[in-house]
This record gives sequence, structure tokens and C-alpha cells, in this order.
Amino acid sequence: MVSGQIGGRDARTRAARWDLCLAGLLAPALAVMLLLFGGGLTLGGLQALGYLPGAGMTELTAAHFTRVLQDPDFLTSLGLTLHIALTSTVIAAVVSVALALALTRWSIRSRLVHFVLQVPLTVPHLVVAVSMLFLLAPAGLAARLAAALGLIASPGEFPLLVNDRGSIGILLVYIWKEIPFIALMVLSVLQNAGGELIEVGRTLKAGPWQRFRFILLPVIAPSLAAACLIVFAFTFGAFEVPWLLGRTYPMSLPVRGYKSYADVDLAARPEGIAIGLIIALVVMGAVALAVWLNRLAGSREAIR
Amino acid sequence: MTRWRPKALAAGIILSVAVPFLPLVLWSLSERWFFPGLWPQQWGLRAWQHLLDAAGGQIASGLAHSTALAAATAAVSLVVGVPAGRALGLYAFRGKALAVLLVVLPLIVPPLSVAMGLHLWFIRLGLAETFAGVVLVHLTVCLPYTVFVMWGVFANYDPDFEAQARCLGASALAVAWRVTLPLVWPGILVAGLFSFLLSWSQYLSTLIIGGGRVLTLPILLFALMGSGDRPVAAAVSLVFVAPALLVLLVSARHLGRGGLMGVR
Amino acid sequence: MGDLRLEGLALGYGPEAVVRDLTLSVADGEMMSLLGPSGAGKTTILRAVAGFIRPRAGRVLIDGRPVDDLPPERRAVVMVFQKALLFPFLDVAGNIGFGLKMQGLDPGEIRRRVDAIMDLTGLAGLGRRKVHEISGGQQQRAALARALVLQPAVLLLDEPLSSLDANLRQQMREFIQQIQAETRVTTLFVTHDQGEALMMSHRVSLLLGGRLRQTGTPRQLFYRPADPDVARFFGGENFFDGRMENGLLKTAFGDFPAPDTENNGRRPLATIRPEDVRLAPEAGNGSVMGEVTQTRFEGMATRIWIRCDGGLVVALTPESRWTAGQRLAVVFPPDKVRVFPA
Repeated sequence: MVSGQIGGRDARTRAARWDLCLAGLLAPALAVMLLLFGGGLTLGGLQALGYLPGAGMTELTAAHFTRVLQDPDFLTSLGLTLHIALTSTVIAAVVSVALALALTRWSIRSRLVHFVLQVPLTVPHLVVAVSMLFLLAPAGLAARLAAALGLIASPGEFPLLVNDRGSIGILLVYIWKEIPFIALMVLSVLQNAGGELIEVGRTLKAGPWQRFRFILLPVIAPSLAAACLIVFAFTFGAFEVPWLLGRTYPMSLPVRGYKSYADVDLAARPEGIAIGLIIALVVMGAVALAVWLNRLAGSREAIR
Repeated sequence: MTRWRPKALAAGIILSVAVPFLPLVLWSLSERWFFPGLWPQQWGLRAWQHLLDAAGGQIASGLAHSTALAAATAAVSLVVGVPAGRALGLYAFRGKALAVLLVVLPLIVPPLSVAMGLHLWFIRLGLAETFAGVVLVHLTVCLPYTVFVMWGVFANYDPDFEAQARCLGASALAVAWRVTLPLVWPGILVAGLFSFLLSWSQYLSTLIIGGGRVLTLPILLFALMGSGDRPVAAAVSLVFVAPALLVLLVSARHLGRGGLMGVR
Repeated sequence: MGDLRLEGLALGYGPEAVVRDLTLSVADGEMMSLLGPSGAGKTTILRAVAGFIRPRAGRVLIDGRPVDDLPPERRAVVMVFQKALLFPFLDVAGNIGFGLKMQGLDPGEIRRRVDAIMDLTGLAGLGRRKVHEISGGQQQRAALARALVLQPAVLLLDEPLSSLDANLRQQMREFIQQIQAETRVTTLFVTHDQGEALMMSHRVSLLLGGRLRQTGTPRQLFYRPADPDVARFFGGENFFDGRMENGLLKTAFGDFPAPDTENNGRRPLATIRPEDVRLAPEAGNGSVMGEVTQTRFEGMATRIWIRCDGGLVVALTPESRWTAGQRLAVVFPPDKVRVFPA
């Protein structure tokens, strides 16, 4: 009994010390995130709802949100932003998977290739956008090459690839930047688990296509999905590239949000913040959707 | 399988990665380059000269600002993020899901949404238009990545190494310095690089919180794009890429197979 | 059902061959163990049979037909790997039915066959479990079921028990043996554990240094080793030589009949297993005297090192009365002495 009591107290102090230790490890990071990230979104939310005590506005109102949402141009902007984010994500994903498969299939281990593949990760989006402008603008390098080949005679004849309707310049920047990002995520999974499971598949009589469909795809699916979500979220909410390579109308949502925010008319500021929050909501919604779809797929698997 | 296909793929990768650098290099070395010319009509170092003299002060200070900001952000991220990564990687505890959510959400919510909300508050706190304010807003982007990377590192880390060292007579401090640190060092390197690169390429959050007073390289580059001086913009772009490439080059051997996987 | 024949197989990854000139037959319905220390090239052989490695020379024949040009997915063999390697994204039933699904069978038929094989392998009721929700032994059984359900002509098992703990291992040995007896699937079983090989298989093939040294029944390998290396692999410690005279090997430990060995005057090597050495306190018929130099208690038996005039003798005895320094008589019963063919 006595020893039990001592043990109990000892265990309790140890547990308390343990909690303290864990809290000590986590608290700084959580505090920073709660304060800066949570605070930023909350304060943004308050401002977007019209709560600006400094300007004498203390009444909460959804007016800014409704004005943003009722603007007929909003849907056009949303459509454009979705187009940019989805198209670049899908193309980058498909190319990345093919690239990662080819690299493992042909066991290309060259240090040079793997180093080069990491280079785009270090290049800021802004620089790629600048370069794409120099490359694809009507008097850019590509147009000059076309002229040298006799395909066009004046810059005006070169197809519009920047500030264009299809956002081709923007897509190219994102695709160039994101392929290595996704490919390296997929590659690491393939190198860790792919080989062994593929051999199991072969000995269990799965053909090449079946091995891809029923083994590789399920193996890489979680990281691929995570990478795609991150890419989608980033391209949906990024400002620099559409600002440099996009058209003045329609504007992508982030550009629109910042323009409203930085407007000389301070009354437009809450609308800018509202757009920023809508972007955040769309992105979080996409993640929630992905998680839900994953659960659904899991449960369907169980029912089958 | 014929061997030309892997070689073609390798060449294709190298070429595709190299393409965007071509116009930057050419334009930065051009003096006069009118339309149909595939090469500059006149080569020259005017742009680079310009960076060194006239605009030199500005570019140098931009470089210094960017470096200092990225280094400070990376340092704070590591100091705050490594312990959190350890907690998430090694221990299961109540409320872990919530902690994870708090770490994961900022990975996907764009910095512009956060920066706009923080701006007014930072003005009131006197943090707007200051170095510290910009570090704080960059932290919302960098810290989650640091925690994420260190979480992964500690998930594959065996704390028995520390117990073993204690048994062998090492003090707690000695264990941290001589056992834990060397074991997680590659992870710390990657996490630090992540943070540095993320902060290095921030534009909009710097603009909103820095309010045009904290002049980093991307802010200067944007201004230059507005002015239309292509050779100088190209040169600044290359200056902007150089340090990150250098870091990659130097650290490539220390990073192991994963390399910079996960950097955005 | 089928038989397997390897003819003059040479295998290797780099410039050096790992396995040379390997010829081996496994009869229809037979359980054959490929035994050898780690690094002997056992797994390499299995991978060649499964089709993951192309032999540098020689042929693999299944049911008499060469299969060297067939990729793994078109061979009538299924390999079970050292790790269970269950697909983490499928449940247990999904894993077991994987191969059938690849063959395009309809779901009802797949379910029927999967259920049958799960009953046979003691996995009934676990079909909906995730693979990490079942025990290590169950995972190995699922991996085995996943292979058996395809009814391969030849089943290849690559040390499937090495990741299990001792108790479970023993159960699984009996289990595999029983399943093999029931299904009569021709099986080539790779192991480095001699007990496992001797206990489980109809015949054992011993691979040392990239060459097959002896193939035979477990008793043949254990009691009639083909050469000293084989004897050493099975725990032989006493090696001594003598001179041949008229069908008798004359040694320091006595004269032993050696009918297989001719040629008077040659000096072949002989061996006796430690547990076959008989010990007595007093000298007797055919005994030599020696002195105990060291003893080691090993539980069911005690190992004793004895210095005799003819050399050091190691004996394994259930008695524990011997101590270092004691003098005793050592007897080699003639029927227990194995004289190697020179």
C-alpha cells in the first residue's frame, strides 16, 4: 500500500512534469500560429464585416461580403482563378507522375538530373514570371525565334501568350515551378515502396497496365493528392504571377483582392479583405472536400 | 529497352529547366536588342554596371534586406518550430489533432489573406513598415513548413539514443548538443533552407506589412518591371535567383536523397 | 501442379557470378528446401525462378518447358517474399484476391475462392480488416494465401518466417507443412535455418559458396554429409583422418569400416557428431583416454571438450557430471562414424 501511494504520487508528479514538458515544446509554435495566423484571419474577418473602430465603424455588417459576391465580375474572376489553379495542377500532376515513373523505371540516378530537378524549387515564382514575359511577350525570345524561322514578320503576328485570354503564360510559369515539387514527392514514395510491391504484383500475374492502375496509383495516391492540394491552394491564392502575366480584365481573385485593398478609396479596403477571406475559404473548402472524398472512398471500399 | 530513352529524358529535363534562364541571361547582357534580332545587336554590361553604381546602393540594400529577413525568419522558425516538430513526431497527446490543424492550415491558406488582416493590427502595434513586422508575417508562412519538416524528422527518430547517452553519463545539455542535434541535423538544414527560401521569395506579404519601406529584392524587381528597363530587370532577376541556387549547390551533398523535396 | 527443373544455372548481378552451375529438380508435389547461410545466393535463385533475374547461363524449366523468355507475370510460379508485402491500400480479402482480379475473374468467383483459401489458411472472418490490423503471423498467412489462391505450378517461399518470433515461427512451420501436404503444391522453400529445413521438407538442398553441395532427404544430409563443409554446416565438430587398409580406416580413435572408400594407403577424413561420442569413466573396449579441458552447460545437454592423443574431441552428452581436469574414456561407435569419400 505504502509503496503504491509513493508510486502513485511519483507517477502523478512525473505525469505533471511530462505535460509541462510537452506544453513547453508546443506552446511557442502554437502561440505564434494562433496569434499571427488565427489573429490575422480573425481580425481580417472583423474588418471585412465592417468593424473598424479606428474609423468609427463598430457595427457588424455583411454588406462588404454581399457587395463583393453580387458584383457580376466576381464570378468571372472566380472562374478565371479556378481555371488557372485547376489547369496548372492537373497538367503538373500528370506530367509529374509520368516523370517520376520514367525516372524510377529507367532507374535514372544521375546526381546531375536530380540536382537540376530541384533547381525550379529554389527559383521564386516572380523570377519565372519575369523570364516568361521576356520569353513569350510579342517581342520576346520566342517571337524572335519565330521571326528568324520566317514564321512571322512582325511582333504583332506572334500569338498572344502573356496577358492573354487563356492565361497561357501564367499556366506555364506554374507548371514549370510545380512539376518538380509534385514529381519529387511522388518519386520519394516510389523509391521507398514502389519496387517491392511492383515485384509482388508481377509474381501475382499483374500486367504492366494493371501494375500501374492497381499498385502504383494507389501507392502514390496519398502523396500525390497532398501535393496537388498544396499546388492548387498556392496557385489559387498567389498574386505575383497573374499580376505580371494576367490581363487587366478579368482579374484573378488575389489580384482583385489586393487592388481593392490598396485602393485610394479606403472604403474599398474591407472588400479587399473579404476577397482575401473568400480565397482562404475556397482553399480550405477544397481541402475539406478532399478529406471527405477520401473518407467516402474508404467507406465504399469497406462496403464492397 | 534501348538506352537512348533515359538519356533523352535526362536531356529533356535539363533543357526544360534551363529554358527560363536563357532570356534572363541574354537580356542582362544586351545593350541594344531590337525586335527581329535573335541575338542582341550590341552586347554589353550596362545592366550589371548599373546594378553596381547608380542603382547599386538600392540593389545592395535590397539584397541585404532580403538576406537579413530570410535569415531572421529561418532562425526564428527553427527555434520555435523544432521543439514543436519533436512534440508532434514523438508523442501522442490529447488535442494533437487540433495542434496539427493549426499547423497544416497555414500551409494552404495564402499569405495574402493573413497579411491583409494583420496589417491594421500591426499599424496599431507599431510593427507595420518595420523589419520585425515583416519577419512576423513571413513566420506565418515559414513556421508551418519548419514544423512539418521536423515532425517528419522526429517521427523517424529514436529517442532511445538519448536514453543511451544519459546511461553513458552525458548531461541533458550534452545529450542535446552531442546526440540529438547531430541526429536531426540534416532535417534542421532542410527546414532552415525551406524557411529561408520561402521568406526570400515573399512579395505581397512584404509589400502589405512593409508598406514599401522594407525594400526587399522582389519589391525592387516589381518596381523595375514597371519601369520597363528589361536588361536591368533581367540582371536583378538573376541576382534574386543566385543565392538560392548557391545554397542548393553547396548543400546538395548534405541533403541526402530527399533533397529539397517539399520546398515551395 | 507441376515440377521444376533448373539446369546449369549461373546467376549474378555484377561481374562476379553469385551462383554457378546449379542443377536441381523439384518433383511434382514435393517440398524442397534450399538451405544455406545468408549471402549464399538462395534468394537470387528464387528470383531467377520467379523471373526477376535472367540467368547468365542455363535454363529454368517448369513442367518440362523452358520459361526463360517469360516475364514473372506470365510464369506459372508465385513467389512469397521475406516480408509479407501486403498492399497497404487493400484490405486482407483485397490482397488475397489481387491475383484473381488481375486475371479478370468476376467478383463472385473471386469472393468464393478467396473465402475458401481464407478458411484453409485460418484467416476466416478477417477479410475486411486492414492489413496493419492483423498480427505478423496473420500477415504472413495472408501473403501465403495470396499466392496459393492462384494455384501456381510451383510456389516459391523466400524465408517467409524470418520476421516472426520463435514461438510463432514454430507454429508457422507446422502450418506451412500442413498446407503444403493438403494442397500438394510443388514448393521451393528458402531458409538459412537448418532445423527449419530438416523439419519441413521432403528433400533439402544445401547451397554453400554459390554451389549446391548436397541434395537429399533430411536424414541423408544430417547423417551422411557429402563432405566436411556439409558436416560442419550441420554442427559437425570432430574431424580426424586415418589411413585406409583393406576397407578399414585406421585412426587414433580406432578402426572404422569404410566400404565406400577404396585405395589402400589414402588418408580420407572422417567425422562423428558430438552427440554420438560415448563417454565412460574407465577405459574399455575400443576406447581412448582423454582429459576434459572445458565444459559448457547448454540446457538439455552439456558440451565437453576432451584432449586425446589423436586430437581435441567435442562431445555432447545429457550427463552433467564431467568437470574440467577429469580423465575419461572416449568411444566412437563405428556405425556413427562417417568416412568421407576421398
